[in-house]
Amino acid sequence: MSDIVVTGLGIISAIGNSVNENREALINGFCGISTLENFPSRFSGVLPCGEIKISTEELKQKLAATQPGVTRTDLLCLHAFRQAIEDAGLTTEEIESPDTAFINGNTVGGMCLTDELYHDANKHEQGSEYLGSYDCSSVTLSIQAQYKMQGPASTINTACSSSANAIMFGARLIQNGFAKRAIVGGVDSLAKFTLNGFNSLHILSPALCKPFDKDRQGLNLGEGAAFLILEKEEDAAGKNIHARLSGYSNTNDAYHPSSLSPAGDGPYLAMKIALESAGLLPQEIDFINTHGTGTENNDEVESKAMIRIFEIIPTFSSTKSNIGHTLGAAGAIEAVYSILNLKHQEIYPSLNFNEPQADTGLVPVREYKQVHLKHIMSNSFGFGGNCSSLIFSKV
Amino acid sequence: MIMETEDLKLQVKKQIVQFLNLMTVKPEDIKDDEPLFGEGLGLDSIDSIELIVLLSREYGITIQDPKEGRKILVDVNTMVGYIEKHRTK
Amino acid sequence: MFYIQESTCISSQSTFLNKINLLEYQVPEGNKFSVKEPSYEDIPEKILRRMGKAVRLGVGAAMPLIAGSGNPDGIIIGTANGGMEDCIKFLNQIIEYKEGLLTPTNFVQSTANAVAGQVGMLLKNNGYNITHVHRGHSFENAMLDAAMHLAQYPDARLLLGAVDEISAYNYNIDLLAGWYKTTAINPAEIYKSDKPGSYPGEGSAMFIVDNKKQQGSVRIDALKTITSNDPQLVRHRFHEFITLNNLQNDPPGLYLSGENGDSRMMHFYEACETQIEKVPVARFKHISGEFATASAIGLWLSAEILRSQEVPVHMWKHQQPNPMATQRHPLHKILIYNNHKALQHSFMLCSIDL
Repeated sequence: MSDIVVTGLGIISAIGNSVNENREALINGFCGISTLENFPSRFSGVLPCGEIKISTEELKQKLAATQPGVTRTDLLCLHAFRQAIEDAGLTTEEIESPDTAFINGNTVGGMCLTDELYHDANKHEQGSEYLGSYDCSSVTLSIQAQYKMQGPASTINTACSSSANAIMFGARLIQNGFAKRAIVGGVDSLAKFTLNGFNSLHILSPALCKPFDKDRQGLNLGEGAAFLILEKEEDAAGKNIHARLSGYSNTNDAYHPSSLSPAGDGPYLAMKIALESAGLLPQEIDFINTHGTGTENNDEVESKAMIRIFEIIPTFSSTKSNIGHTLGAAGAIEAVYSILNLKHQEIYPSLNFNEPQADTGLVPVREYKQVHLKHIMSNSFGFGGNCSSLIFSKV
Repeated sequence: MIMETEDLKLQVKKQIVQFLNLMTVKPEDIKDDEPLFGEGLGLDSIDSIELIVLLSREYGITIQDPKEGRKILVDVNTMVGYIEKHRTK
Repeated sequence: MFYIQESTCISSQSTFLNKINLLEYQVPEGNKFSVKEPSYEDIPEKILRRMGKAVRLGVGAAMPLIAGSGNPDGIIIGTANGGMEDCIKFLNQIIEYKEGLLTPTNFVQSTANAVAGQVGMLLKNNGYNITHVHRGHSFENAMLDAAMHLAQYPDARLLLGAVDEISAYNYNIDLLAGWYKTTAINPAEIYKSDKPGSYPGEGSAMFIVDNKKQQGSVRIDALKTITSNDPQLVRHRFHEFITLNNLQNDPPGLYLSGENGDSRMMHFYEACETQIEKVPVARFKHISGEFATASAIGLWLSAEILRSQEVPVHMWKHQQPNPMATQRHPLHKILIYNNHKALQHSFMLCSIDL
């Protein structure tokens, strides 16, 4: 199969509106998690969230996207999408080409609009302008329409691994001859729906999340979007290649709808098969961007799975300590961060960590370092036991 | 109205069945000392959260931590004992 | 692309397991093609109790299939709305209890990958597990995903399927958006309408697919999806599809149309139908209703027709024998054209060796 490379990046998160801004913040160990301001909620001013401090109205104006039915999720998606296509220098012809795939991971869709959705779902009066905007696909379809895209397109929802799976699907479309290039990634915006959902499961932390720390109390939700442009290496001659996607896998933990099995079979298999697909041995992984949500269950199980695979655990961190858990966008955002690690041969500190878990003793990296990096693994594990692992390599 | 313990036990059993949608379980068949989790009724972690919500909505009892909840939600006896002591509704 | 070995379907008609009867159809009540749910003997009660309807339909159709053929290597599902019903139930709790203490089951069951996840869990299946939610292309993308997986792993066997439900909530949203008629359904009259709107349907279709050509296996020869609201573009792409698959020289024995009685869709259906004039036409939405993954029902019906070599009389668009069409006996190949909301179109070609 052809080698797949990354020729464009775009991102927006709680620590920056561009690739460079995100990188600066990561280098400086900046934490973008604060209390909720953008929409009224019982949790405003209370629960820490990785909120992007730009209001939806402001985003509409900045992106000149004021047509009816536009949601915050649409806007974050558009922002990162535009950056990625610009970074890759894609022409209008290329974007519109039937050879260009667009794969978007998303879990919230337009459900960030709680009151409008409640009204449209329950009432029999006049519907709101958002009737066609609630499902996850509406985000993808609106970009397809805006950019007159004619290539293969899909929306993937596998909860927290959605955009990692979107990246994989796009890569496979290219490798199987269904596309020449793929714009892949994901988006999610903060919503009362997900805030209350995770809160009902008692896995939200009342304080800043502490991935892998023995006193961790749960996750902080975040929002954001990231897109990557994937192409075959032989088609990318003369382009600015950020990294190679050298391996990937998706497996199922098959244990419980909302927690991982004690031995971490799903995460273990995802990492193992990703390594096999890349033709790499565990010891060749220089760094792991973990799923690392800060929940009791995930961090314990992920640690155990890493111990099963790696004789010596590679240096690892959780960037969710900077921006929170961005759900559908997490896989893609963390892919961008992994690529930044490779491009600049540096690793960023994992935040809010004090003491390791007693039974696993794993310690994430806590300071900025310039290091030699060749291969990086990025993991995402979602509800329904969905486990995905991506491996990026330096070009 | 103070309910007799036996009546409260039956009410709680009915509520468990209804709240958790235990479609093939008859409330009167749940033994007072039958474990709710693991063996016995075989409920799981999501059920324990659901029962905490039940205690709040029906009896005005707040339990913050699901782990604390598991100590109360051992069987119908312990559950009813806790309700009688702490109910505000 | 790949072979369908076995399949199941739960719909508003008698399509499930040993109760399949396609020769007669049942007239639904009111304006919805609602499913009469079977008893789900393959789903343990402890798991069944939590499931919303979409998850029950999906898992309920998948489990008997797997009982027959064993644990697949992957589970690939398409669903536009997934657990939308549970989403809204959770949302209603948020409003009713003012973000207070809420029960998590609705939230957990609302994730679109609940069907694929639950099947994986019930089977203890660690394989590839994915859910495509691209509205009217959810099932088609799942098919493409399966095709790529089987190209990479030639010995693999996959569970491929789709499901969507009519929930009170997404029905209301689509009704307000003008997608549905509210008059009672008369299947015999659906296609004669000159008014906008169709009738909502629900159901699930599941398939065991692999690369093995066997007696009775139905081959998926080709699949093409288009996103466009331009009938001329769709006509052009259909022409390309016909040429690419040599259908002008070796036409299908049947053209299955996703026509649904919504007058706004007709120019698409006409643009395609006029290009295969000699092929007999059948329709299926008078028994499935319209929903984002209805094309999966269309494929299931096609597989049944190819295996049985019988087209139910009520499905023919024109009275038989059609003086315009060339009859093809036996029936080797079926071409399906479907569109959802006049935007997402798909062409599928399936065949059987007899």
